[in-house]
Amino acid sequence: MTTSNFASLLGRWLIAACLMLAWSLPLRAADAPPAQQQAERQQTQPGNNAPMWREVRQDKAHFTNNPGNEAGVLIQTGGDAWRHLRNGSVTVYGGWLVILVAAAIALFYMIKGPLTNHDPLTGRLIQRFPRVERVIHWLTAGTFLILAVTGLAILFGKHVLIPLIGHSAFGYLMVLGKNVHNFIGPLFAVSTVAMIVIWARDNVWQNIDALWIRKAGGLLSGEHVPSGRFNFGEKTWFWIGVTILGLSVAVSGLILDFPNFGQTRADMQLASVVHAIAAIVMLLLAFGHIYMGTIGVKGAYDSMKSGYVDETWAREHHEHWYNDVKAGKSGHPQG
Amino acid sequence: MARMKFLCDAERCIECNGCVTACKNEHELPWGVNRRRVVTINDGVPGEKSISVSCMHCADAPCMAVCPTDCFYKTEEGVVLHNKDACIGCGYCFFACPFGAPQFPGGNSAFGLRGKMDKCTFCAGGPEENGSKAELEKYGRNRLAEGKLPACAEMCATKALLAGDAPVISDIFRDRALRRGKAGDAAWGWTTAYGKPEQAAAVKEENK
Repeated sequence: MTTSNFASLLGRWLIAACLMLAWSLPLRAADAPPAQQQAERQQTQPGNNAPMWREVRQDKAHFTNNPGNEAGVLIQTGGDAWRHLRNGSVTVYGGWLVILVAAAIALFYMIKGPLTNHDPLTGRLIQRFPRVERVIHWLTAGTFLILAVTGLAILFGKHVLIPLIGHSAFGYLMVLGKNVHNFIGPLFAVSTVAMIVIWARDNVWQNIDALWIRKAGGLLSGEHVPSGRFNFGEKTWFWIGVTILGLSVAVSGLILDFPNFGQTRADMQLASVVHAIAAIVMLLLAFGHIYMGTIGVKGAYDSMKSGYVDETWAREHHEHWYNDVKAGKSGHPQG
Repeated sequence: MARMKFLCDAERCIECNGCVTACKNEHELPWGVNRRRVVTINDGVPGEKSISVSCMHCADAPCMAVCPTDCFYKTEEGVVLHNKDACIGCGYCFFACPFGAPQFPGGNSAFGLRGKMDKCTFCAGGPEENGSKAELEKYGRNRLAEGKLPACAEMCATKALLAGDAPVISDIFRDRALRRGKAGDAAWGWTTAYGKPEQAAAVKEENK
């Protein structure tokens, strides 16, 4: 027999042996129920509790006299994944995004400055936001800011505030912070839903929005692009920021805030991750919204403060809406 | 320096809940707070096993890692303790802990009003002065400072629950495992590695 013949024979035998092993191994492990496996193992190998320990790692509830929720689960495995997701990606990427987006907006303001009116003000005012809309806006905005500050402290305070003010001061402050967050939260949920109801109609797609997208809102050119009552930028903030993210934050927040409905730890872990991610992305978009509503666009803040805007501002920023109002129409999307 | 550990011998635990009672009594814990519990796997089936579990004082403790106020600390003996003054009752330690150790006097209340977290201290109290009234009221008795081991393990009737320096209690357990049953090697599962279970049984028959 030559060497190459021997090698090929050996190879064939090895493959055959591997195949036999692959067939026989899984069959042994998983046929009987775990309790029976342990009972049988007890007979053949007293003291070998491998089947029992395997069962412990299945996140199942076993018998216990302790009446607590999930007390029968000896070891839960989801906590470790949650810990690494929360302390890892969410904290690291979330933290840097908050800093970078805030810095990018500050840089934009320094380079481009605010959007101003091209023509002089007329002195004639038209109503943009009636009282009920302003109340709902400021209720949502106020609760959002309180929740953002306390929420950021819950996630990043450990890394940012403790080195500054120390453990005990931060601890006492956060007892207050956590309770403020938990009691203000439901109010934000209610006012967010109210906001979606009052502004959904004016945020539906209009053909004029395509022009706004083509010109990127005139953000870089300084040009004023015609739009309806809300331009496409505002509509994006409304549907993605307020509606999708706002509702995600509100629902996950309510799950975390009211643990008295028998939520498991897995429910809370999932809700916590959804809450943190949605809240951070919403905050990044809110940075843009707050910038445009205050220092970014001259005259925008007055519209939400007094409810009235100058006719020049209305014509330059929301031409279609201005024309509708001037024509005696409602100013809502027609048809 | 000692490295404090709990070890529960599943072959010895008879689910008497003596450790649970000893702990609750020693620290005068409020209603609803159980720092220790006994879980029985395959209850009522031949081969059922009971295990007493509480805070396991992890080397890399998940509760410590996720706490928003960083209220946990580790003693020189490797015991994981926490400062209740800094605890905000957010429940994150409970979400992260594999063993369900953190307890809340307020339970799962609306608006997350759980109260200050409470958990096994390995009978080592808290940040207050050893043996002080403040420490007793917040964290229970500090037996370690008195040179005593945790009450649960000292109370255990079958000595299933061991508490103490890791090398010492693992030596005790290893010694037990070697002497347990007819064939010491069976306890370590050598038959799984070097032969089929049927062969082991056959060898036993021959030895009778």
